[in-house]
Amino acid sequence: MNSMRVDQHPVLGNMGQRQKLKFVFEGKQFTAYKGDTIASALLASGVRTLRRHEDKGTPKGIYCNIGHCFECRVRVNGQNSVRACLTPVENNMIIESNVSRTMTSRGGKV
Amino acid sequence: MIDLAIVGAGPAGLSAAISAAENGLKVTIIDEFVKPGGRLLGQLHEEPDGKWVNGITEAEKLFKRAIQLGVIIKCGVSVYDLVQLDSGWCLYTTGSSIKAKSLLLATGASETAIPIPGWTLPGVMSVGAAQVMGNVHRVKPGENGMIIGVNVLSVAIARELQLCGVNIKGIILPQPSLIFGNASNPEKNMESLLRLAHLAPSPLIRFGGKLVNPKLGARLYPKNGFKMWGIPIQLRKAAIEILGDNQVDGVRIADITATGEIVPGTEKVVPVDFVCIAGGLTPLSELAAVAGCSFRHIPQLGGHIPLHNERMQTNLKGLYVAGNITGVESAKVAMAQGKVAGLSIAAQRKTSSNRMDNQIQEAIENVKETRRKALIQFQPGIEDARSQLYHTFNEYSEAKVSI
Amino acid sequence: MSEDQTVICRCEEVTIQEIKETVKQYHCSAREIKLRTRAGMGPCGGRTCRCMIDKIVEQLGGPSVSNEVSLSYRPPVRPVSFGVLGGQ
Repeated sequence: MNSMRVDQHPVLGNMGQRQKLKFVFEGKQFTAYKGDTIASALLASGVRTLRRHEDKGTPKGIYCNIGHCFECRVRVNGQNSVRACLTPVENNMIIESNVSRTMTSRGGKV
Repeated sequence: MIDLAIVGAGPAGLSAAISAAENGLKVTIIDEFVKPGGRLLGQLHEEPDGKWVNGITEAEKLFKRAIQLGVIIKCGVSVYDLVQLDSGWCLYTTGSSIKAKSLLLATGASETAIPIPGWTLPGVMSVGAAQVMGNVHRVKPGENGMIIGVNVLSVAIARELQLCGVNIKGIILPQPSLIFGNASNPEKNMESLLRLAHLAPSPLIRFGGKLVNPKLGARLYPKNGFKMWGIPIQLRKAAIEILGDNQVDGVRIADITATGEIVPGTEKVVPVDFVCIAGGLTPLSELAAVAGCSFRHIPQLGGHIPLHNERMQTNLKGLYVAGNITGVESAKVAMAQGKVAGLSIAAQRKTSSNRMDNQIQEAIENVKETRRKALIQFQPGIEDARSQLYHTFNEYSEAKVSI
Repeated sequence: MSEDQTVICRCEEVTIQEIKETVKQYHCSAREIKLRTRAGMGPCGGRTCRCMIDKIVEQLGGPSVSNEVSLSYRPPVRPVSFGVLGGQ
């Protein structure tokens, strides 16, 4: 449980117990709860950058969060162009992106 | 072949499914989101009498009723193409393809972007994205944020985020620029703020809202903004740039005059870890375009609207629309429109039935009544814009028949 | 970052400056902007940027927004793998 999660809410109530899941993003282990999308699970763990622009290398995270903008696209269990904001986390999911492979500062080419 | 396929399991789609299924039709709904309810899921607001309207609960009621009636609902499935057949429509999806005699597009709206330097940084998201993250996924979009864009959604969602424990440092205008038009003009924004004034928690703002002339209001608007729930709503400050290296860490803002010009020397940086862009909503009508619908550009309704009539029929046989795709309004109006669509579609199945005609007329009146009773008028002139559109549709249809 | 460097098409990272220069050089419509700059050609199919491109073109003296949708929607309106296209 971390501070980014809204487990208690004055009107929506408490989240209660949920099944814990684990998944890998860019080689690192993460925990999620059943019902999380890939994007929400990563955000809850403090990860905002989901990929880098294919030419410019600029970091990208969610923008619309409902599957319209495709900014959040990642590779899931070998399948490309999967929207992190629309995909529920499943146990042992392997998620890859190009975050680690392109350059680290904003703008410019690799 | 089923009777009715619906794209979109939001309030309009679910309501249409219920009406159609109550009249014996076989219905399947497809939605690409992870659960049914559409954008109703994220909505949470307090009525003036103190009662909370919880979108999750409302969506659940609709969903349960639909399932009870035998409606099939497939979530996590995207429609990528569709084609008209002799006897109906065929939908191509990321699941299996679906053939139906009638097709209802209830795909809602997408958010209009306001481009600001730095807006592609991780941590900058549409205001709806923050609502979904907080209320649907129960994850804070950040600890301290700023919302750029002053309108119904930005004010309502600022409050929702507060309830999630997020600190909203302010709601502010975007920098004056060639493409923003009215979005960055304090006088225009004053007009839309006044339409919200009756919802303000502070009696001073409620009372003041009725008396203020927009031009005067913009000029007299306090430099530090008006606060609602402790959140400053700024009409005399604008966001110039969003800052950060790998993610957002601040927003550069400056004072602006009543007519929207930047006051030199007033720039400062506000530290935040997320930013919301609130540019308003635009009907998501791409499938109607692929189908070959005609459109009309109607700014009061949010953009390009598929040509349709009061019965939610488009100019293509067997193709219907309902909800925000017909023009941006509230979830209640979407539900009322969905009911009209469901009844219209069911009526097509049956050989002339006066009873159905009466039901449809009643449902159409109910849409108007729902609109009139709405607490928030999204845009002035919606009723007129819709009447004109229906008139245009009738002329268009008559013209086709006379050829 | 100056206003001109602001990205308009997020998918292809096309800036205001590129669009302005293209409109000035070719006096073109939103549809032509798409062909000349790649704006609107990315995975989101122009969903995010089409309104902005329409507004910029209009502001720079190009054709104003008409009843017809300016950038056509070509199916597939969601990226699909060959598996999905072939398998069903």
